[in-house]
Amino acid sequence: MAALIEYLPKDSPVHRLNALTKFFWALFTLGFGLLFNDYRYLLALLASVLLVAALARVLQNLLPVISGLTVFAAMLFLIQTLFYNQGQVLFYLIPGVDWVPVTFQGLLSGLAMAARMMTIILSFLVFLATTRTQDIVLTLVEKFKIPYDYAFMFLTALRFIPSFLNEVKMVSAAQQARGHAIEGINPFKKIKSYAPVMIPLVLLSINKAENIAMAMETKGYCGGHRTSLRETKMKHADYLLTAALILLLVSSAAARAAGYGAT
Amino acid sequence: MSRKSLLKVENLTFKYGAEPPVLKNISLDIAGGECIAVIGQNGAGKTTLAKHFNGMLKPVSGKFYVGGKDTGQLKVSVLARTVGYVFQNPDHQIFHDTVAKEVAFGLKNFQLPNELITARVAAALEAVGLTAHHATYPFNLSKGQRQRVALASVLALQTEVIILDEPTTGQDYRESMQIMNLVKQLHQNGHTVIFITHDMSLVAEFAQRAVVLCDGKILADGGVRSVFSQPELLQKTFLKPPQITALAQSLNGYAVPPDILKVEEMYELLKTRGEEIGCFN
Repeated sequence: MAALIEYLPKDSPVHRLNALTKFFWALFTLGFGLLFNDYRYLLALLASVLLVAALARVLQNLLPVISGLTVFAAMLFLIQTLFYNQGQVLFYLIPGVDWVPVTFQGLLSGLAMAARMMTIILSFLVFLATTRTQDIVLTLVEKFKIPYDYAFMFLTALRFIPSFLNEVKMVSAAQQARGHAIEGINPFKKIKSYAPVMIPLVLLSINKAENIAMAMETKGYCGGHRTSLRETKMKHADYLLTAALILLLVSSAAARAAGYGAT
Repeated sequence: MSRKSLLKVENLTFKYGAEPPVLKNISLDIAGGECIAVIGQNGAGKTTLAKHFNGMLKPVSGKFYVGGKDTGQLKVSVLARTVGYVFQNPDHQIFHDTVAKEVAFGLKNFQLPNELITARVAAALEAVGLTAHHATYPFNLSKGQRQRVALASVLALQTEVIILDEPTTGQDYRESMQIMNLVKQLHQNGHTVIFITHDMSLVAEFAQRAVVLCDGKILADGGVRSVFSQPELLQKTFLKPPQITALAQSLNGYAVPPDILKVEEMYELLKTRGEEIGCFN
């Protein structure tokens, strides 16, 4: 779980690409995913994202996330099939009285929804796993002209999640070691029993934020004009790929407008 | 001392996810009433091993028994009645608005009667020297004091086994001694004490047995005296025996035994030697 959104330093063609190109790719996947409703298009898109992950040699690391997402995908699929009641009825979940019809179209739209959710999330995870966070920030600041403060905020928030998850583990272990157990079916009792974990976490986070602020100031944050050691350069491959992606997105938008991949 | 085995580790191997194993095939047998120091470099697996002792981590392969019971199925909150664990960072557990309430937390979890809770809280606070701070907001205390609040909150549980992960970090010398004397007292009262430390002089002074971990394996396990008298072995994991032991070892050619642990021992030895050969006349 902690490795969910961390940069995985590896040597792969995907890692060598410019952050901007990979960001375009993730946006393209998002656009393509939202454009089409046909399950075949979305499954193909999912396959392409997995292929990129394999090419970047991060597929192995993403496997736990993929299996976690599959659970959500299955839930989406189930909900979609249960509540979509148009089209050709395959069978009734409660036979005899003909309640809860499961339709062929329902199955397909459930499949499409599940594939879309997985594709969009995975594409951003692949982007984050293959791009150094510093490069992301640099791109945001230099290419998208986002103020450095906001970009830094984004970076810090991103970095905060894995260490926060780690702290959740530590705190709940420390409380369990004093005989504390999160239990009970009564939701109010259950919420109350989370307090011993939640309170130290909040205090730790506030404390950490203060420390970060202090460390930033001592390192001269906001001390004037910033220069950067690393330069993000677009190479030929980056231009080529970005152009291809934009072309693909435009043509698929045209195709969608012409009526392809609607359902 | 041949007491009955209390904690037993059998061929324990542990790894975090797909990473290489942190602990490799560890076997240990700890009798009730022992006082053990776990030493080794950073990253040797000391804390990982200690976390198995109260069931926070479960072995990937191998077994761990507490009082003959396999901990594989036991919950941490259940094991907590037998094994108390003092963490390195007190801020991972403190959440009450007074020190006394914080110390009472575990006792309340065990659903002990109120009078007993009050008595035990008072005793534990006295033991760590924080009686005067019983109504203080814990975050107004210094880190060292908070560390002792955490210690008191585990002491109050009066568990059979007490594990301390670097209990003297962030304490000054006087506070360290205070904590370690407390450890000694617990041991004398029959508790089994296991502590992790980087301070070899504390090991020499307070532990009976030392377990040296190196790269996830047990490099040495035995009486403190015998472990410290093997400097070559300690060298492998970049540990140094206490200075007085090192001095004794470099004087080994002059009929000084290599296993001296305390300054007083050296003093006595030199004094009797001196008297024997008439140095002081």
